[in-house]
Amino acid sequence: MKLHLPPRVSPKQFQAAMTAFAGVVGKDWVMDSDADRDAYSDTYAPGSTEEWPASAAVAPASVDEVRAIVRLANEHKTPLWPVARGKNLGYGTAAPRLPGTVVLDLGRMNKILELDTKLAYCVVEPGVGFFDLYEHIQREKAPLWMSVPGNAWGSVLGNALEHGIGYTPYGLHARNLCGIEAVLPDGDLVRTGMGAMSNNPAWHLFPMSYGPTFDLAFSQSNLGVVTKAGVWLQPAPESSLEIVWDIPKVEDIGWVVDTIAPLKISGLIDQNVFIPSWLGKMVLKGQRRDFWDKPSAIPEWRVEELLKEHKLGYWQVALRLYGEESVVKAKAEVVKAAMKRNLAAGPAEHWWHPGDYIHGVDTTMGIPSAVPLQMSDWIGGRGAHMGFSPVVPATGKHVLDQMARSRKIIADFDVDFYASFTIGGRFANNVNMLMYDRDNAAEVVKMRKLFDALITETAKAGYAEYRTHLGWMDPVMETFDFNNHALRRFGEKVKNALDPNGIIAPGKQGIWPAAYADARGRSNKV
Amino acid sequence: MSRASLVLVAALGLVATAVLAAPPGPPPGPPPPYQMRPVAPAGDRLKPGGDGKVLFEVHCGYCHLTGGMGTNLLTKQQVMAGNTPDKGLLANRTDLTADYVRTVVRMGKGAMPQQTKVDLTDAELDAVAKYLGKAG
Repeated sequence: MKLHLPPRVSPKQFQAAMTAFAGVVGKDWVMDSDADRDAYSDTYAPGSTEEWPASAAVAPASVDEVRAIVRLANEHKTPLWPVARGKNLGYGTAAPRLPGTVVLDLGRMNKILELDTKLAYCVVEPGVGFFDLYEHIQREKAPLWMSVPGNAWGSVLGNALEHGIGYTPYGLHARNLCGIEAVLPDGDLVRTGMGAMSNNPAWHLFPMSYGPTFDLAFSQSNLGVVTKAGVWLQPAPESSLEIVWDIPKVEDIGWVVDTIAPLKISGLIDQNVFIPSWLGKMVLKGQRRDFWDKPSAIPEWRVEELLKEHKLGYWQVALRLYGEESVVKAKAEVVKAAMKRNLAAGPAEHWWHPGDYIHGVDTTMGIPSAVPLQMSDWIGGRGAHMGFSPVVPATGKHVLDQMARSRKIIADFDVDFYASFTIGGRFANNVNMLMYDRDNAAEVVKMRKLFDALITETAKAGYAEYRTHLGWMDPVMETFDFNNHALRRFGEKVKNALDPNGIIAPGKQGIWPAAYADARGRSNKV
Repeated sequence: MSRASLVLVAALGLVATAVLAAPPGPPPGPPPPYQMRPVAPAGDRLKPGGDGKVLFEVHCGYCHLTGGMGTNLLTKQQVMAGNTPDKGLLANRTDLTADYVRTVVRMGKGAMPQQTKVDLTDAELDAVAKYLGKAG
């Protein structure tokens, strides 16, 4: 990719910034060739990767190097886009929101600094991936389980800071963060919570410390660069039971949510319960053309046929309970009785005890895997996909209402409907997966219009997304409209106070510093 | 992911079925290889002459060891092309050249995203390309 300079930076000034960065990290870790820019582009970009181009990447190896780079970025007015491992697939990968921003790749900072088996937590740097932490726990034979996202190629901290979700009792990943160290936009270094006191051993244990609590101010945020954090882990359970129901009809999702959510809220069910529609399983069975060879959406009659042929329900509930066997058994009876009120067919049950085999692809047991990403082969080509992810209250009424709306809009665009709901407590995360061929220009245009329509119509109904791709960070922030967008105004006041040059991740999540506010709502249209 | 959906995952290809299908019995031992990669070699990642096999397993093992996502997709492709399923593992391929490996790693291919120099340095890539590039 050719060089796109940051706003108001001349080629000479840009080169001076690169030379200065190289003085900190060494020239090999300043990556500013055309090939390097391609490497940091959005691999699943809906359109040209030059819409959100990085000008370069710089990879520090320590907190001190991060601080030095941030100070130099201020001096050279060269904005930085921090990424942990740069695997935010479907949301922009490692690419920056503002064209010409330099990616600050923290992948080399990959130390596991602490693993405490007694108090069940770890302290990690941003470059530590889910696989790295899993392997470390295995080698240490530590009785601890992780929570992992569907595709676990990325960073533990990066995913938590982006509000990623998993499917265990620790599935709200941002909530597992406790005690953060961050480099502020002026190069200062802060530790949150109890860590604000030197050598306090409760830094990563107590989340509600003295004074304002800032941990999550660094999540989906451009207020600093997180350089380490505590992450709570799940003590390995004495046993676990998976209970699986196939749910026949699309509208059944209403009673399913009304059955499971109260049990989740009461604490009887402690995991995040993932409920994918049939297509979530079909995508792993082959490619779309094996089942429907036309570009139009798979019609309902064919869906019915496929469900019969492959013995699938429209939805599947694969619920997992964890703990002492007697407790798990008792909980299972309550859950089964509740489900039986609407579904006569009994579930399949799979017990697990320590020492038993754990399948390599079981996100409900915290096993990291990239295999779920195989869905990217459904359409073929370069495997592009985007998730439209609104959050709704966990009641059947809200879920059915949300589903009917999305389903109609998606059908109107003649696109396959592939939804999941994850019940995380009083809410459900609804992910509508849109898979497309990014080398088919007409299809990309259609998907973008569809995405716009989903955001607008969903907001009209009063629901919002919790996470989105670079291209929609401004439109989604726009939907948070209370009191003339007070949240955005507050965010930008704080941003401008902490980061007068606007050098940390300008535009992230629609928060623009004054220095680059003219880029709001714009991208490099190519 | 539920066991039921795992069976569906397993239906992908011949070898994938054998590798992924949940065995009925008790523990067959440690976790699958792609979840227990070797420890990354210590030292300067920019220095040439590293162990290509170890570096391949460390940096590409997320997807390209037994049971990994890349192996599953490649197994299917290899079988469809009339080759034996074991060719789904890159380490078993004899038709790859070092240059081809370098290009695919840096440019990406199909569902595989491109890899940065932080993912794999040029020196590490050279060692991996030498290890996998059995066709020269």
